[in-house]
Amino acid sequence: MDILAQLIVSGISVGMIYGAIAFGYQLTFSTSQTLNFGQGEALMLGALVGLTTVNFLIGQSIATPLAYLLMLPVVLAFGCVQGVVVEVLGVRQAIRTGSESGWIMATIALGIIFRNLAENIWGRDALKFPSPLTETALTIGPVHIQPMEIAITLGTLALALAVEVFNRKSIYGKAVVATSSDRDAAGLMGINTRLVITFSYALSSVSAALAGVLVAPVTLTGANMGAVLGLKAFAVAIIGGLSSGLGVFVGGMILGVAETLTGFYLSTGYKDVPGLVLLLIVLSVKPSGLFGKKGIKKV
Amino acid sequence: MNIKTLLCGAATLCLLTGTAAAADPIKVGLAGPFTGGSSSMGVSMRDGVKLAVAEINKAGGVLGRQIQLIERDDEAKNELGAQIAQELINKEQVVATLGFINTGVGQASQRFYQDAEIPVLNNVATGTVLTRQWPDAKSNYVFRNAAADSIQSAMIAEEAVVRHGFKKPAILNDATNYGMLGRSDLVAALAKLNVKPVTEEKFNVGDTDMTAQVLKAKGAGADVILTYAIGPELAQIANAMAKLGWKVPLIGSWTLSMATFIDTAGANGDGAMMPQTFIEAPTTPKRAAFIAAYHKAYGGDRMPSPVSAAQGYDSAYLLAAAITQAKSTDGPKILAALENLQTRVEGVVTTYDRPFSATDHEAISSNIPVFGLVKGGRVVAAHPEDLAGDKAVRVKPKG
Amino acid sequence: MNRADASRIALLAVGALAVLVLPFFITSPYYIHLITTIAIYSILVMGLDVVFGYTGEVSIGHAALWGIGAYTAGVFYIKLGLGLLPSLIAGPIIAGAFGALLALPALRVTGPYLAMVTLAFGTIVQILINEMDFLTNGARGIPLTKLLFIDLRNYTDWFPFFSMPIARMRELEYCVLVLAFLLLSILVINRILASRYGRAFEALRDSPIAADCMGVSVYRYKVLAFVISAVFAGLSGALFSYSEVYLAPNNFSFEKSIEFLLAVTLGGRKSRLGPIIGAIVVVYLPNLLADIELFRGAALTVAVIGVVAGVITAVRRTHSIRRMLVPVALCVGFYVFSIALDKITDYRAAIYGVMILFVVYYLPDGIVGFLKQMRAQVRSRTQQTSRPPLSELSVAEWTPRIEAVQTNKALLEVSQVLMQFGGLRALDQVDLTVQRGTIHGLIGPNGSGKSTFINVLTGIYQPTAGQVLFCGHSLEGLKSPAIALSGLARTFQNVQLFGELSLIDNVLVGLHHSYRSGLFAVAFRSPRSVREEAEAHARAMSLLHFVGLAESANEEARNLPYGKQRLLEIARALALDPQLLLLDEPAAGLTASDIVELVAIIGKIRDKGVSIILIEHHMDVVMGLSDTITVLDFGQKIAEGVPAEVRNNPRVIEAYLGGASASAL
Repeated sequence: MDILAQLIVSGISVGMIYGAIAFGYQLTFSTSQTLNFGQGEALMLGALVGLTTVNFLIGQSIATPLAYLLMLPVVLAFGCVQGVVVEVLGVRQAIRTGSESGWIMATIALGIIFRNLAENIWGRDALKFPSPLTETALTIGPVHIQPMEIAITLGTLALALAVEVFNRKSIYGKAVVATSSDRDAAGLMGINTRLVITFSYALSSVSAALAGVLVAPVTLTGANMGAVLGLKAFAVAIIGGLSSGLGVFVGGMILGVAETLTGFYLSTGYKDVPGLVLLLIVLSVKPSGLFGKKGIKKV
Repeated sequence: MNIKTLLCGAATLCLLTGTAAAADPIKVGLAGPFTGGSSSMGVSMRDGVKLAVAEINKAGGVLGRQIQLIERDDEAKNELGAQIAQELINKEQVVATLGFINTGVGQASQRFYQDAEIPVLNNVATGTVLTRQWPDAKSNYVFRNAAADSIQSAMIAEEAVVRHGFKKPAILNDATNYGMLGRSDLVAALAKLNVKPVTEEKFNVGDTDMTAQVLKAKGAGADVILTYAIGPELAQIANAMAKLGWKVPLIGSWTLSMATFIDTAGANGDGAMMPQTFIEAPTTPKRAAFIAAYHKAYGGDRMPSPVSAAQGYDSAYLLAAAITQAKSTDGPKILAALENLQTRVEGVVTTYDRPFSATDHEAISSNIPVFGLVKGGRVVAAHPEDLAGDKAVRVKPKG
Repeated sequence: MNRADASRIALLAVGALAVLVLPFFITSPYYIHLITTIAIYSILVMGLDVVFGYTGEVSIGHAALWGIGAYTAGVFYIKLGLGLLPSLIAGPIIAGAFGALLALPALRVTGPYLAMVTLAFGTIVQILINEMDFLTNGARGIPLTKLLFIDLRNYTDWFPFFSMPIARMRELEYCVLVLAFLLLSILVINRILASRYGRAFEALRDSPIAADCMGVSVYRYKVLAFVISAVFAGLSGALFSYSEVYLAPNNFSFEKSIEFLLAVTLGGRKSRLGPIIGAIVVVYLPNLLADIELFRGAALTVAVIGVVAGVITAVRRTHSIRRMLVPVALCVGFYVFSIALDKITDYRAAIYGVMILFVVYYLPDGIVGFLKQMRAQVRSRTQQTSRPPLSELSVAEWTPRIEAVQTNKALLEVSQVLMQFGGLRALDQVDLTVQRGTIHGLIGPNGSGKSTFINVLTGIYQPTAGQVLFCGHSLEGLKSPAIALSGLARTFQNVQLFGELSLIDNVLVGLHHSYRSGLFAVAFRSPRSVREEAEAHARAMSLLHFVGLAESANEEARNLPYGKQRLLEIARALALDPQLLLLDEPAAGLTASDIVELVAIIGKIRDKGVSIILIEHHMDVVMGLSDTITVLDFGQKIAEGVPAEVRNNPRVIEAYLGGASASAL
């Protein structure tokens, strides 16, 4: 029972990471019906830029937790720029020409370029990200948990909440929501949908970059950190539903817990299988994802 | 129309077919992963080889000719490795190839060297199988100057069971060719000491959460964890153990000395032990010079993978000695020279005195590696007495 | 067979022979192996093109199908002691079975969701290969030995050419074998894609709903496309295993699938040459990017091609000079960059990425698409008419193939149909009867449920309650394709043509039901399949002639003016030989002259015995053509009768003009 609790807690904290990245997929898909296959690289770049900033600040003899907080706006700004670059270089052309495969290839290509550049700038090795919180695990009942894991969970939820509040309360957010529900109609209402799409990509990369600096102290930071996470998060986005903001977090937790439980009770070799089988089941029973809205076919 | 166009394609390909004439410098292939997950080993190895070749060329080269390295990145991909092997052999017409980090790539590509009768010096890949791929062949063109897994696993087993008295080891390895082959060697080595691992767990490269594996080892009552994996995942094991507040010793293959493990595991990695052919410490003048030259050429104050760099460096000198002795760049003659090397080659790992024979293609014998220990962000000798005095240079026994 | 055909076949045979003999003249084993690998990739990539180029679905699971083929050969070899031949049969079959399995969820999903299905499938297969140690040797991999089929050296007395080392003989024979399979694959895939199967694949890509309503089951043909694709992946995999002679699970990873997709995109979708070029690029690129001299040479070639293409376009003024300047400058810049670059290995991946971006941007149809475009430009100057004009005389008059039914029973009887979306009743207890040989008008204000009614009839929506009898049979539970095949054809309010197909191919999709020969008959060109195709072609021409589009039969449907698109939809629907034709606002967006033409055509269709339900807002059209008119409002039937009656019905006037103004009229 103690072990089960520990596994579930570990699974949830892994799942929240998946959820945070998947959230980024969902943001762009809702406005533009496209997604960034280099989302894992957006996370990686965010983490590495964060690492450089933190190390610089620590070098100025600023305490690690403060340095971490000061770094966040830098990463936020960087994520913004990176997202705009992805949209302008990879997606805009494809949306204009209505090409189905163009954006897939272009975002994959950008991911490759980003990863290679990161390899050349930050080196090929995984690097240590200074943890703003103590690395001694807390013991809550039978469960050991690192403070940073709690921070990941809270941080990703705060991120999602912030985006949600922004969408509901601000006029820009409403433009995003309008574009998500019907791009053509929103365009006719005078909303600059192209700008909204660019914005959604910026937001998506920001969420990935922030997820990057959240997970970096727990996992490793390096040019190759994004690849596996990006793929898992893609699965999570599909399980949760590309149209549901909440769904990706539940989907993430389901996949994370499925992984740790299978790893322990079945075999670590088959760790990824139940999550993927679950995905296939979800897709064949409810194609729009667990929480996705089902659309009515219009003819 | 389609077949016509296909013909055009084939014709274009023919145009590209130009066989290069033998150029003045001696061409030597250098293959390894220089990008991607295992590139820190590949790049260190490459840099070690380049350092040695630069020194050799500066001293006048070999047979009065300069050595020209043809670098190829195999990205740790088997198929690409096979293609590169053929390119190096047939297009670049190298006289020998140095390199190979990944056992799988070696398995997929070294048969081409064997068929073409061109010697290969494996300087990092440790899979035991590599030097015995063709037991029935007349001659074997694959040599190695890295500690084979059979040597490492025996050392790990002995260190854990005999020296420290652990009886309930758990094995954690990655699900790659490296990890799986290493695990079977390790199980066999433990069996010789009448010990059976309490559990064997594996994980994929890129996994970031090892809680399940570590919990299983803990649940099975393990008193030591033996590993066969590479840096990033090893660090996650150390971190998961720290998180669960469970502390047992970590002993594993040489990859526990990778900078990725030491840096990312931080304090959690302290105390990990692994067999090392080379420890980045100036225990001899030769080693001191090598370390200084390396940092002068490539910067930094610590090699990403000292073992890879040192073995790469030595492999270039071994090859140069063999070519000099063969007085030829002919594959079979270099093979004959390697199998009967007359000159003593003073390397940084060891001094090679007839390192190979017709039946033994392993330059590193089980007495050469010593146990390294992670301490304060560096690898130091676990048992300093191993390297004390005249034991600093450990030489392969004769015969 | 005429003389032109014979000489063409002879030319192809000579070409094929040349391809097969070619390897004997290549001395370097490196290039032999390279050609073998490229040919193996080409087979797979061509198969992938069936899914990616034709059905438009992105598969990130093809590396797994490839792996299944390869491991079939590997396991046969180490566990059963079987050689290449059994693997070449079993590999494709087993991979094909997995392809069907992979496509099963395709029933419900498409786009990124289906891409995810293929990705998950690929990952699971890779894990299984890694974990099923007892079968696959797991991560340790499977070593195989290279084969020698015939020892040609025994014939050196007669043919000294064959004297060569045995190792070279092995490589050569295998290379020739692989090339032979490549030629066979080209032939088979060509034939399948040129047949109704290829048209069905493209139809379901361009408009799944229209495909279903033409009796071409989207689901069935999507699965079929995946199976065909998987069979070639399996063949390629089996060949790969004996070419590499060492198999390990990491050969068949996600990255490999991406590489295959790149090959299709780079080379060009929907062609056989494209995948081969794509395969050459992805196989050769790592080597190209490793060798700086080679790289510079390639960059120079690209720059020259770019400048030449730019000059040609500038002279012809087909694109604005400014738009052309960027790619040309990029090509030249690429060369300058390659000269400036002195260390290539570290930035290889980035260069690779930039090249992909360039292709996505400036060669959206791949290299082959680019070449075709250039060729078209050169052609357009030398010869204005690319095709001989179609002889009007050869086109037969179209007559519908409807069995004469001697009955007074109504053709369509709809009773008490209720269609509910959540709380909204889009159709509320609607009754409607259509008599044979009549035009039944269906009118009502926007949102009154007219299109919903058509969608219920054609199986796109399942009615919440009520019954539909067509020719005396209930349509309950039938899916769109089955309903279409039972004789109910339709057009769409927002035109749903198969845009990338030619006009005649659009109609041929409608004629899909008239074929009987299967996939194998098509692949091996049985006499019946040839005859069927010719018959269908003639009938499609007569249909195009009927709606006045015969002259542009070979143009792509998407290039047609709007008014003509509506006519093409009618021709396509008529190809089903329907008893009842449902026209959903056929006159919307048409010019006055187009409408006159349309009215004449609708009249002719009725005169030929096809009953029609006509939804239309142009009152003069409906009133003029209809025998009976039904009026819907808020999902309810508010009036029915002959046009004159309906025109004066106060409830109808109220519905159209609003309550207040009704009395004023």
